[in-house]
Amino acid sequence: MTEEEAFEFVKNTLKEERITPYHKNEIEIVHSVEGCINCGLCINHCPVVAAVGVDRFTGPRSIAVELSRSPPEFWSTADKIYLCTGCGTCREVCPKNVNVPEVVNLVRARIFEHRPDLVPKGLHMVREIIVEHNLAFEPWEDPEEKVESRDVRLERLDIPYTEDIIKKNAEVLFYPGCQAEERAQEVREAAKVVLNYFDVDYTLLDDMSCCGLPSALMGDDETSQRLAGLLKEKVAGLGVKKVVTTCAGCTSNISDISLQDQWSIPVYHMVEYLAEEVGLDRLKQALGSSKEFSEVTVTVHDPCHLIRHTSRRTMQDAIEILKVISGVKVAISEAEDSCCGGGGLVAYHSKDVADSVVQENLISIDKTGAERLVAPCPLCTAQIEANLFKSGSSVEVDDLMVFIAQRLPKK
Amino acid sequence: MSESDFDVVVIGGGSTGTAVARDCALRGFKTLLLERDDIASATVGTCAGMISSGLKYMDEPEIVDMCSEEVVHLNRIARHIIMKNPILTPILELSDLSTGGNFAAEYSKRAESRDVPPVMFLEPEAALEIEPLLNPDLISSLYFEEYFIDPFRLCLLQALDAQENGAVVKTYCEVIDIVVRDSTVESVTFYNRVTGEIESATTKTIINAGGPWAHKIAAQAGATLDLRLNKGAHVILDRRVVNVGVITKAVDGRMIYLFPHENTTLLGTTALDTWEDPDTLVATHDEIEYLLKSIEWIIPSIREARIIRTMEGVRPLVPTWKVPEGEVTRGYEVIDHESEGVSGLVSFTGGKLVTCRHMAEAATDLISQKLGVESKCTTHELPLPGMESDVDVLSIAKEYDISQHALERLRARRGTQIMEILDLVKEHSNWRTTICTCEPVIEAEIRYSIRNEFPQTLNDLRRRVRLGTGPCQGTFCTYKAAAILADELDLTGEDYLVDILDFRAERWKGIRPPMRGPQLAQEEVAQGLYACVGNLDQIETEYDPKPWEEVG
Repeated sequence: MTEEEAFEFVKNTLKEERITPYHKNEIEIVHSVEGCINCGLCINHCPVVAAVGVDRFTGPRSIAVELSRSPPEFWSTADKIYLCTGCGTCREVCPKNVNVPEVVNLVRARIFEHRPDLVPKGLHMVREIIVEHNLAFEPWEDPEEKVESRDVRLERLDIPYTEDIIKKNAEVLFYPGCQAEERAQEVREAAKVVLNYFDVDYTLLDDMSCCGLPSALMGDDETSQRLAGLLKEKVAGLGVKKVVTTCAGCTSNISDISLQDQWSIPVYHMVEYLAEEVGLDRLKQALGSSKEFSEVTVTVHDPCHLIRHTSRRTMQDAIEILKVISGVKVAISEAEDSCCGGGGLVAYHSKDVADSVVQENLISIDKTGAERLVAPCPLCTAQIEANLFKSGSSVEVDDLMVFIAQRLPKK
Repeated sequence: MSESDFDVVVIGGGSTGTAVARDCALRGFKTLLLERDDIASATVGTCAGMISSGLKYMDEPEIVDMCSEEVVHLNRIARHIIMKNPILTPILELSDLSTGGNFAAEYSKRAESRDVPPVMFLEPEAALEIEPLLNPDLISSLYFEEYFIDPFRLCLLQALDAQENGAVVKTYCEVIDIVVRDSTVESVTFYNRVTGEIESATTKTIINAGGPWAHKIAAQAGATLDLRLNKGAHVILDRRVVNVGVITKAVDGRMIYLFPHENTTLLGTTALDTWEDPDTLVATHDEIEYLLKSIEWIIPSIREARIIRTMEGVRPLVPTWKVPEGEVTRGYEVIDHESEGVSGLVSFTGGKLVTCRHMAEAATDLISQKLGVESKCTTHELPLPGMESDVDVLSIAKEYDISQHALERLRARRGTQIMEILDLVKEHSNWRTTICTCEPVIEAEIRYSIRNEFPQTLNDLRRRVRLGTGPCQGTFCTYKAAAILADELDLTGEDYLVDILDFRAERWKGIRPPMRGPQLAQEEVAQGLYACVGNLDQIETEYDPKPWEEVG
């Protein structure tokens, strides 16, 4: 037997034994989980455990000390491991910085490879869409309907439409992410209005493609890597110097992949970009004197992918920005940084769990007395809005970019 | 006085003793098994669980044949508690390549019968893809596959099967005298540590499977037995840190290994001639460093991995002296003490986990002859309990609303026996509660074990259900499990506390020697729980600290 044939044989045995060797870049994650001292602090902070109890979701501690110990048995964790929303609260409160969100993805990747039949069906459906369209949502069948939907939204929100700009060598690539591209189109349009207002030299992608986060979350590493590579190519082809996005998930994921694949350009959330590159002074000039809007008390929701996966600084920036807008009062909710339930693709297969998780937020939002909630992420916005509506709350919900774009003087 | 007139009394409840008791019982002999502690509580409880094909003993081809054949038998009778491990032997130096080649040829002769491939050679890139932690300077790598068994469950299943077939199994019964009349064994006298009574049993024959204590047992009958006692240490790492097993040369040229086993990784082993008391032996600093240094050449980052504990055991080798340990045969001897005037007493020296059934067969054949009956060995054909059929974990998880992973672990320990445990859940739905969070272990399994597998202590439960063997080393399960044990066995408050102290002491025995890094933080949590919350250091009991516990 040649060495090549031997290797093929061994790979086959490993597959039979359900072992996918840890890759070099996973070793650090495995090592981090070894740090768990079973203290259980995370269980009291896990929003999923709080919402559905430890019998349904055994929680981050069980992922660390029990479920992630032996790869040949990973398949048997499928009834629990997909219920993690990946919010990262456990990692934040952990005295040993155990990286549970990442080990969840690692386990999911093994199930995806060895027991795809145990991956929830809802995730397979998302996967098929991603593989076919390079987007996390089924694109509009009729492009004209997409335009109509966009225009209805813009009219309702009183946001002007501006032409898409696609060009080479712009300063900034504005990357709306799949949700704002296909669903919450008002967020994409609002961001363009804001970028235009502050004379940012930006471009869009001529062909939007997913950053790969949903694929990584369902364990489809191959697709997530392909999409990351595709985006890298597009970014390099455009010759931009910065990437700006309005989606929290895209922010954290593109930050990660750009570091891993050495893009050598910075990645910003729009909030961060406005605070750092445009500056509060210019924002105040533009937003601080309008009399057009009546006074409003807003509360915010902190997307997990910003505060826990990227930086807590971004939400401080968001609040600073809100404070310079005339007539805006900010009321902080007790659960501002609690997961909305929309993470980890949980809603695609266990909607009851995702919706239970958001309840905590709803109660606290109500308590603030705010009339409006803003969040710098179209996914969180959609999850909270739908559940507030269902609960009969009068609190309205906006993506932060929409809220800002509405209040900018018309140019 | 208890039951008497046994055909055979087996002394020792390790892998060999339980195998002998099973064989004798299956052949219809009236059998009594006496174990002074618990089943699998000594040598076999500290092994790596490899049912070795004899890969270390290629210059003893008849032993390799025997090992290889026994692997086939074990796979036939105990498939439900066996796992396969792919193994790499990376080669760093050219000179090792030819030794590797010789090994490959000898090993490969018997591979097919065990349903594993012949030894293969892999390119460095391939080996590194399979195991990225390897030293990238390797020049080639051998690959082969070996089987691993749960040694605790093997011994227990052999004991239970013996019981099922009429044998009397008594744990915590220490033989204190063997009465010989007219140069023939007549009876054994033993101290029952549970009842505190001295009992005896008359018997026609005695099989001494006392492992590292076998010479002392022989002496009670006035017989002599020479043993070469040799101790070995394992370092146990949290979780599977390597994708496959790794075997390499140690600092002194011996071979050592790093094996994924269950949900841990085992690094072993040392081999040192010893005259210490096997009961109080702990791994030494030298042994731990020997193992770490040795594996470090091939896995440079090994010291970053979390060490949970060490375990130390004593091998009762065949007494070949004035040669290095590695040159002592891995075969075994069945000693008939008739030649020195003690008729009816048979002892073992040597042997290995994988040959325990074979040893039992040989000794039982001899006993059969002594009893003057014709009998046939069936231990290689009849399955051990739990192997009746496959278990569909996914469907029973749904039916009983228990986590799939908890059930998969349960299945791996017990095969079809799992259904009897789930019957308990049907009656008591709250027994689905997780008691040990690391393994995990549910209450129903603990209750089932107490009712059917004769454990007396938390340590016995640990051997049966893996209680407290995870990274937290019983930080959270001890009180919970002790309460269940006290409930089932009707223990007094005093006994309950002493057993908790005993269990903690036994964990400490392995935790302390290698304690460093993350395990220090873990031990702080344990200390906080047992001393600061439980006030366990303040209670007054009849507890005597163990030799390895510092009294301060």
